[in-house]
Amino acid sequence: MIQYHDVWKAFDAPVLQGVSFGVDEGEMFGIFGPSGTGKSVLLKTTIGLIDLDRGDVTVEGDSVYRGGKASLRRVRYRVGYVFQNAALFDSLDIYENVEMGLPEEELRGMKRLDVTRRVWDALELVNLEPAQVLRKLPSELSGGMRKRAGIARAIVGRPRILLWDEPTTGLDPVNTAAVERLIVRLSQELNVTSIIVTHDIQGGLEMCDRVAMLEGGHLRFIGEPDAFRQSSDPVVRAFVDRAAAMAALDEVEV
Amino acid sequence: MGQVSRNVAEHAGQLGLLVGRSARAFATLQVSPRSVLQQIYIMGVQSIPIVLITAILAGIVTSQQGGYQFQGAVPLYVLGSIVVASVVLELGPVLTAIILVGRVGARITAELGTMKVSEQIDAFHALGRDPVAMLAAPRILAGVIVVPILVAIANVVGVLAGMVAARLTLGLGFESFLYGARLFWHNWDLFYSLTKAVVFGFSIPVISIHMGLRTSGGAAGVGRTTTASVMFMTLTILILDALFPPLLLQ
Ligand SMILES: Nc1ncnc2c1ncn2[C@@H]1O[C@H](COP(=O)(O)OP(=O)(O)OP(=O)(O)O)[C@@H](O)[C@H]1O
Ligand SMILES: [Mg+2]
Repeated sequence: MIQYHDVWKAFDAPVLQGVSFGVDEGEMFGIFGPSGTGKSVLLKTTIGLIDLDRGDVTVEGDSVYRGGKASLRRVRYRVGYVFQNAALFDSLDIYENVEMGLPEEELRGMKRLDVTRRVWDALELVNLEPAQVLRKLPSELSGGMRKRAGIARAIVGRPRILLWDEPTTGLDPVNTAAVERLIVRLSQELNVTSIIVTHDIQGGLEMCDRVAMLEGGHLRFIGEPDAFRQSSDPVVRAFVDRAAAMAALDEVEV
Repeated sequence: MGQVSRNVAEHAGQLGLLVGRSARAFATLQVSPRSVLQQIYIMGVQSIPIVLITAILAGIVTSQQGGYQFQGAVPLYVLGSIVVASVVLELGPVLTAIILVGRVGARITAELGTMKVSEQIDAFHALGRDPVAMLAAPRILAGVIVVPILVAIANVVGVLAGMVAARLTLGLGFESFLYGARLFWHNWDLFYSLTKAVVFGFSIPVISIHMGLRTSGGAAGVGRTTTASVMFMTLTILILDALFPPLLLQ
């Protein structure tokens, strides 16, 4: 349902060098990889936020880069995007921020009360107390709360596809678990397709149907979590071991 | 040299695109009147104090300077015409614009630059909203509305300040000052002044938005771009100002 066709992108240095893969409907797909390898860039290409040097992405048959405005519009309408740093609008309060997650056309035909209910429900889903945060500005919330408000904004429009850029980074264990449960629930109950970029290898391997590892501009690995755990590729191994060591360190600290 | 002309061409292209997209946002009624009013308040109402202070000082200085140069040479009432012409043709529009580069332009670049590096501009696109319609167009329209009004205020206040200063320090009465002012006045001067104001009121938001949306490289990038944007706007205003006489004063 989502296809990346030979995606190339260089900024000052090459970042993506011919990445091709597909994600199926209802699938939960994890992307791992060292910092700065282009995971965020890759995720952004899914909705055309980055101009490509070469290649294309299609979402349910609609081309992101070669289909013109209408096609891109349809794609963005179906996709919810959780930004790595929440990307809440500074000058709008949390209510207005989450409200922006409702497509403009839909918003115009909705009653005030229904909008409020949708915003309220979305905030509750991410474990935020609506009455407490609705009228706050993003700058008045903690980093973890902002992150969850960003997730609320991405899900309030009930997209069929969700792109998660490190949804749990910077969250405490309780909220990490809550967000992971939310991702799983959206996928199981609403058949939402999710692509999740994460540094939490263990969490990712448990949740996802398939995972990929991005390294040096290419997909170094793509396959099921078990295959990833047992991979004999030294690069994958080194990455998994380092991640395990980090996880162990985290547990010692807690 | 090739690099420079490539840069110029790139900026020009992007500026043109920004203006075109903003125009389309207006034509398709995508610009919310509320955000235009909000920008008018921020750019206009909040700038009044600094514009008043600048205009008063400009009026006083011109009047003093002129009085000093003309003492004994020509009838003193000519000072009325000197002050009015300097303030209305040059100091009113140009000083106001330079003040607004710092007060309004720098703010716009820093604000949009921060939105760019913190992915808020991406978020607009992701949510199917058009940042040009939501951010750029209201600021451009507000600039075109607000700057002529501020310049008109600066003109009146600058002339009054010059008149009062002439009376207090040179003993030139209000009547003589106004007599001199009327003697050489053309209505055309006011048109000229306000045309400059419209052009500056358009250039400041367009350049500052353009620079803001080009920002990359985190907080340091926002700082760098804001400085560059202020230079770009200041130079543009001075160059446009130099182009006005040959184009309009024939
Ligand atoms: N808009 C941009 N302009 C210039 N360079 C960029 C831009 N966006 C990303 N890059 C560069 O592309 C590379 C990949 O960035 P990206 O943000 O995708 O990494 P990442 O894999 O998401 O890393 P992290 O795990 O730290 O989030 C980096 O070297 C980055 O500097
Ligand atoms: Mg990233």
